[in-house]
Amino acid sequence: MDARQVAGFSRRHLLKVACALAPGLVGLKLLAPAPDVVAARSGRAPGATDPAASPGSGPATPAAVPAWAFGVDASACIGCGHCVAACKLENHVPPEPEYNRTWVERHVIAEDGTIFIDSPDAGIHGFPPVSTAPGAAAVAVKDSSFVSRLCMQCENPPCVAVCPVGATYRTPEGIVLVDQERCVGCGYCVVACPYGARYLTPDGATTPTGNAGVADKCTWCYHRISQGRVPACVEVCPVEARVFGDLNDAGSPIQKIVNAPGVGLLRPELGTSPRVYYIGLETEVG
Amino acid sequence: MVIRVAGREIALDRPTVAAALVAARVGLRAEVAAQPTWLKAVFAGLTALIAIGAVAAALTVPPGTEVFNTTPAVEWGLLIATYVFLVVTTSGLCLVSSLGMVFGIDRFKPVEMRHVVLALLFLMSGFGVIALELHYPIRLVFGVILSPSPGSPMWWMGTVYGLYLGVLVFELVTNLMGFARLAHIACVISAGVACVAPTTLGLVFGSLVSRPFWQGSIAPIYLIVTAILSGASVLGIVFVLVNRLRLPGHGAEATDVIVGIRRLLVILLGLVIAYMAIRSLAAITIGSAADRAAVEALAIGPLGPVSWIVRIGLGLLAPLALVAWPGRRVAGRVFVASWLIMIGLFVDRLTFVTAGQIAPSTAASGIVSAPYASYVPSLDEIGIVVGAVAAVALVYVLVERFIDLSSPGGPGDVHGLRASLQRTLLRRPVLGLGGSAR
Repeated sequence: MDARQVAGFSRRHLLKVACALAPGLVGLKLLAPAPDVVAARSGRAPGATDPAASPGSGPATPAAVPAWAFGVDASACIGCGHCVAACKLENHVPPEPEYNRTWVERHVIAEDGTIFIDSPDAGIHGFPPVSTAPGAAAVAVKDSSFVSRLCMQCENPPCVAVCPVGATYRTPEGIVLVDQERCVGCGYCVVACPYGARYLTPDGATTPTGNAGVADKCTWCYHRISQGRVPACVEVCPVEARVFGDLNDAGSPIQKIVNAPGVGLLRPELGTSPRVYYIGLETEVG
Repeated sequence: MVIRVAGREIALDRPTVAAALVAARVGLRAEVAAQPTWLKAVFAGLTALIAIGAVAAALTVPPGTEVFNTTPAVEWGLLIATYVFLVVTTSGLCLVSSLGMVFGIDRFKPVEMRHVVLALLFLMSGFGVIALELHYPIRLVFGVILSPSPGSPMWWMGTVYGLYLGVLVFELVTNLMGFARLAHIACVISAGVACVAPTTLGLVFGSLVSRPFWQGSIAPIYLIVTAILSGASVLGIVFVLVNRLRLPGHGAEATDVIVGIRRLLVILLGLVIAYMAIRSLAAITIGSAADRAAVEALAIGPLGPVSWIVRIGLGLLAPLALVAWPGRRVAGRVFVASWLIMIGLFVDRLTFVTAGQIAPSTAASGIVSAPYASYVPSLDEIGIVVGAVAAVALVYVLVERFIDLSSPGGPGDVHGLRASLQRTLLRRPVLGLGGSAR
């Protein structure tokens, strides 16, 4: 028997098997979700210990899954832009003005009913006295308001449905997240989002995962709310125009918004069931 | 080491390899010397264009968006449009070929060999373009297999086009090897996949509630009709050149193909014009605000001039006049019309992709675009497109020069299959090896 062959299994066979398996193993490694993604998908806070995995511990008691919701009071917002700045800082959002997880729009209603919308640099520096929208400078203003925009964390999110590799997913609490180690950067979710809440990170972007060219979006500061804190934009808002809370908690400040008269959703006709509740809207917001 | 090629044993020892290299060098020189000047110019020009594309492609690595002019407001741009153009043309080539091989119309049977080569080249070029557009194409390849998302139209598109590539390779190999039965089966399968593939691509756009201009169940049908139009146009260009340059298969057989393509173009152009008119009218009268805004962008907005002049005027009306006119010089008119249609369809893909985004119904990532978002392709994007198209042309010209792509058995015997390989496929020696003097 050839010394290089053992039980009919030659070196050539070994190489063939290795070559066949290697791409699969590399692929599995590439597609294995990061620990924080595993935590998010299981409903645990990132970094928290899996109780079922702790030796000696008793049966895990299932914690009540919160029904997180977000409220925006457009009549209270002053357009200071602190929320946009805080979000950029908290979530490593690229500094360029065209990349934002949240932004503030100013809706100006002219005397003739025409609506002008502007958002200079996403409102991060506040707003000049006169709207920067084309043609708005010369019109007589009847009314105006500031509208905060962010991810709606839809119950039927189009972005999740279209992702070809399952890189975008909903956590048990209903937060839509992106596994940036799995995202292929096709941009399908970006064009699928009816609220314009997504972008692809630019080259050299300082994303938490260090990946450029992947989808990024508002997570309602998932890393904060999982630990019982509020999103950064809510924390810095000086007029409480942004409200966050648990719909299951009767004492949560979100109840005030959700139960307010005239509460509305953005583009409900699309069937996405957004979970950001607006009050004080003067105009139809797309 | 000894390898077997086509039943011959070839020893791969050092003297044999050295002799082969010398023969290849001599063969290359002989080939270049044998080329007419115009062909040398074609090769040089296409090589230069591919070099431009290669440089543009290299600039996209490492992944990022800086070299592209896409923004969160217009995330899909020229490369997506080019991908659509290339892969839909692939389907069109197969569907036109199926008229002969599946539906038994003799006139179209001679396109079999040429269509499969062209389809493969267009598809691979499309894959190359989309790989550069995607930031992590390798993840997509693994993700589609290991982490399937059957709810995503893009997953279906990727899967079907991946299968399509396999089917086309199988069809090419069985044709070249002369396996009549298998080649016919492959042709039938590829015709079926050619219908499904653009349908899935149409769904990628048509399933988006956020983009009313793209949305709708008719989008896949439109893609299939325009696929046949582009496939017929490519074959129109090729078969006119086959006759003009007296390539294998020229003569009455090729003339029959040209006449068939002319009739096909008349019907398809009529269908596309009717569809466009009805679609635009519906958008203006009963469409949503965003749908109407997109159609207005095409009619009187920033896309208006290119849409009216290139897409409709040069791409539809002028070719229709050329091919519908009952005069002589049919081949010349089909040739010009086919080129115009290809240019018009390319612009149609680009305007389709951009019109769905530049008339936004919402702000995107903080960008408020009123009334229209701006998108002008970057030089890098244009370079990639130029390189991709030039690569298709160069490889096809090489294949056409060295391999006999005619159907020797005549219209009724496409897979009568080169007398079971009694005739060599090579038209001339490749790097000093093989070939006949045809």
